[in-house]
Amino acid sequence: MAQQQGARNLTVVGTASPPIDAVERVTGQAKYVGDIELPGMLVAKVLRARHAHARIVSLDTSRAEALPGVKAVITHKDAPKVPIWGNRTYALNEQVRFAGEAVAAVAAVDEETAEKALRLIDVKYEVLKFVLDPEEAVKPGAPQLFPDGNLEGQPRVLTRGDVERAFAECDRVIERVYHCPTMWSGGMEPRVAIAQWEGNKLTLWASTQAPCRVQTNLTGQFNLADSQVRVIASYVGGGFGTKSAAHVDETIAALLARKARRPVKLQYSREEEILDSNTRFETRVYVKIGVKRDMTLHAMDVKAYINQGAYHVRLGGLGNQATHIYKTPHLRTVQYRVHTNLPNTGPTRGVGDPQETFAIDSAMDEIANEMGWDPVEFRLKNVKRNGDPIARGGTGPEDGRLVTQVTDRCIEEGAARIGWARRNAAPGAGQTGPKARGIGVAVTERGNGGGLAGATVTVNLDGSVVVFYASTDIGTHSRTTLSMIAAETIGVALASVRAVAGDTEVAPYDGGSYGNRVLYSTGRAVDAAARDCREQIFATAAPMLKASAADLELRDGVVRVKADASRSLPLRELMQRRGRSVVGDGNVAQSQAEVNVERAAGAHFVEVEVDRETGKIRILRYISAHDVGQPINRTVVENQIEGGTIQGLALTQAEEMRFDPRDGRCLNANFLDLKPPTMLDFDARVIEPIVVDNVGEQGPYGAKGLGENPCHPGMAAVANAVYNASGIRLRRVPFTRADVLRALAEQRTGVSRTA
Amino acid sequence: MADDDRDTPDHSVSRRAFLKGGALATGAIGSTLLPETAEAQLPIATEPDPRRSVVEMTVNGVAYRKEIPNRTTLLQFLREHLALTGAKMGCDRAQCGACTVIVNGRNVYSCTTLAVEATGAEVLTIEGLATGDALHPIQQAFIQHTGFQCGFCTSGQIMTTKAFLDRVPHPTEDEARRALSGNLCRCAAYKRILESVMTASRLMQA
Ligand code: FES
Ligand code: FES
Repeated sequence: MAQQQGARNLTVVGTASPPIDAVERVTGQAKYVGDIELPGMLVAKVLRARHAHARIVSLDTSRAEALPGVKAVITHKDAPKVPIWGNRTYALNEQVRFAGEAVAAVAAVDEETAEKALRLIDVKYEVLKFVLDPEEAVKPGAPQLFPDGNLEGQPRVLTRGDVERAFAECDRVIERVYHCPTMWSGGMEPRVAIAQWEGNKLTLWASTQAPCRVQTNLTGQFNLADSQVRVIASYVGGGFGTKSAAHVDETIAALLARKARRPVKLQYSREEEILDSNTRFETRVYVKIGVKRDMTLHAMDVKAYINQGAYHVRLGGLGNQATHIYKTPHLRTVQYRVHTNLPNTGPTRGVGDPQETFAIDSAMDEIANEMGWDPVEFRLKNVKRNGDPIARGGTGPEDGRLVTQVTDRCIEEGAARIGWARRNAAPGAGQTGPKARGIGVAVTERGNGGGLAGATVTVNLDGSVVVFYASTDIGTHSRTTLSMIAAETIGVALASVRAVAGDTEVAPYDGGSYGNRVLYSTGRAVDAAARDCREQIFATAAPMLKASAADLELRDGVVRVKADASRSLPLRELMQRRGRSVVGDGNVAQSQAEVNVERAAGAHFVEVEVDRETGKIRILRYISAHDVGQPINRTVVENQIEGGTIQGLALTQAEEMRFDPRDGRCLNANFLDLKPPTMLDFDARVIEPIVVDNVGEQGPYGAKGLGENPCHPGMAAVANAVYNASGIRLRRVPFTRADVLRALAEQRTGVSRTA
Repeated sequence: MADDDRDTPDHSVSRRAFLKGGALATGAIGSTLLPETAEAQLPIATEPDPRRSVVEMTVNGVAYRKEIPNRTTLLQFLREHLALTGAKMGCDRAQCGACTVIVNGRNVYSCTTLAVEATGAEVLTIEGLATGDALHPIQQAFIQHTGFQCGFCTSGQIMTTKAFLDRVPHPTEDEARRALSGNLCRCAAYKRILESVMTASRLMQA
């Protein structure tokens, strides 16, 4: 890669520069939304229902309103009858659909008064029957959450070839079901929003990944123009998808601020964040898979129930993994998107890909083992390679061809690094002591996010550069990578570039930071804006250097005549003589179909040790091989791979949200019981990222998105390794010690205690 | 079926509510005599208000003396009264470490320490770590290794590291992992946080 970088003459892109905002982040100076204090700002608190399903019969807020210090109280009567963007909930609803749903909110002079006011609100409910299980929810007679039923829309169906006929042609067919419960997926910073009205202009600071989506929602809620709503999200304490769309809290804060005529801060507690964000949805995936004796994957039939909970941000479900990883001539996927009385869900890191990878890549492993095949060889035989057909529309016919695809190389490099040949040739056998070791693999891929992207780049009179973009830096260091792109394209040092992130008023529309898109798409917009700047600079420089613009180059902050380096002008001097700032405009609109042909692959290999006496699964070594195209910043890439890998592993051991079947209430809405991993839970030192040498075609400098992918394969890789070690097959996450011990007992006795 | 939720705004007893109950109980006699009025609405007390106390503490070398409600946590005191917002609220119940500051040389969760408990104490926050523009070696190490992603846990990680390395200047990696295990990093930048701690230990000896 160093070679490639040299050949392409890159000076900034491809280096490992520390983040440009590192000093702010390590000195406590970075201002997150919760750190902002406005004069006269009120504290907001939300009253939440305890019932999983109920209709509000009456709401009396008069005593709360009469409490001195209370400046506004709102209920569903105050909420616009406009659904929150991308969702079917209102800011506050008359019908309660999950335990923990907001039913009223107050703004008061301080926290204690606001809390006291909540206790003075009198709500009478008609309690309704509830349903938590997605398969129960679609049965006749199930409690109905919405007038049109619990099934959202039509089942999403994709068919390719003739699945029924194909299974008859197979030499082996297996059917399995894989289950991932509702899981917490939030960041360290709980949701927070500050709303301030000046006349009919609303400014909203929010901890969001997608300020423009929040803006679109608020213009709809309050019937305002884009110019009347400014959304700012400068520093964001992680999102992982839970902040990738508008949510009720922003509108609640704005409603309270409008009613109170004062700024309002609504800071969620951790418990509120766990219950009322858009968390990872439950999936139950039925996989039927058939192979031929020659090791070809012949047919796959996938039926998935997606438990969306009460409300759901409609931004994707499952489907990528079954459709795009392997050449499957006969394929059917059916997805049922079901509403139940569980908390809100939405797209979270990988959306449904981690859950689906767990299903597909476990099933691939199961059938390979049943056939006595090497699981890596089986995958390499069937994996899609560069130039193979791909559905440009995601789920339609395979009308495109993959470009720069390197799934095969991810598998090969990962296998070589972990020493795949060392694995148990006979899974579960040959190890006599209490501890058994084994190696597992899982493969994944994902497209890059497209859609509308915009950025502005300005060159100031002293030659310094500012990048403006309305997406956010949620911890992916997009401030840094986007600045690196601008520095490279214009031809200045990174030190002279600064980035202003997440402000809809100073930057053009941009979708947001989600779905492997900010580097790939916003990065292209920044590149376009920077090119625009460079052209304007050359147009100014040409007469000064008595050369044509086409003969100029700009490197290290100096404009030169290419053929005669003695004729040069430092950018600073040029800008002063020009006497006008340069403003570069970058907007790209890429359809998802265009970007779908270029995808980023990954393969994970894990060596585990299963303790047959305690049920503990220990991770001994973990190889995460990923294609990122051209890395813009190597440190950022490795940081994302390492962190994403641990988040994927976390799904194997904890983070399940548990619900009381008697009342639908969440039993573990706190960190102590959800157990997100600490530094001791996984030894991060055993994670080895591999950045597979590649350069993409469409992204800036050939970069591809990465954020989602490292979170995908963990569950499948660990399940496959546990099988290789011990011969037991785990099909539900998290893999608790009890699950492992139960499976080992079944293995010994041959008696299954599970249905 | 109708159900009355009047007295149960939240479906669990929060630690906050518990603490508040405790704080109010200590001033129970006084509070029954007081009208049901929010603190911020009270006129400047002419008689001592049993629900408020004067705290004195040194924060980052500066002496402060302030009258605050008893229920104020140290985290609230730092963030809301002193505008030192480097310590973050990640859970408010001693479960994440985002709020970590150093009190008399020990790393504490400021969200579960009352400000009145820290009366007379020397408090160090992330804002007091650098000397002018010169970053502390721990901060330098966190930059060198990019020991963070979103940065929301970072002040807490750094303050825990400071208290730890002051106690154990030459730790093993496993000692460091144990010492830092009370500080969650949801971005899971753990590999780099550990590298930062080990490098910081070397830099601090230099
Ligand atoms: S905020 Fe104090 S430990 Fe989480
Ligand atoms: S850097 Fe995001 S939580 Fe640690």
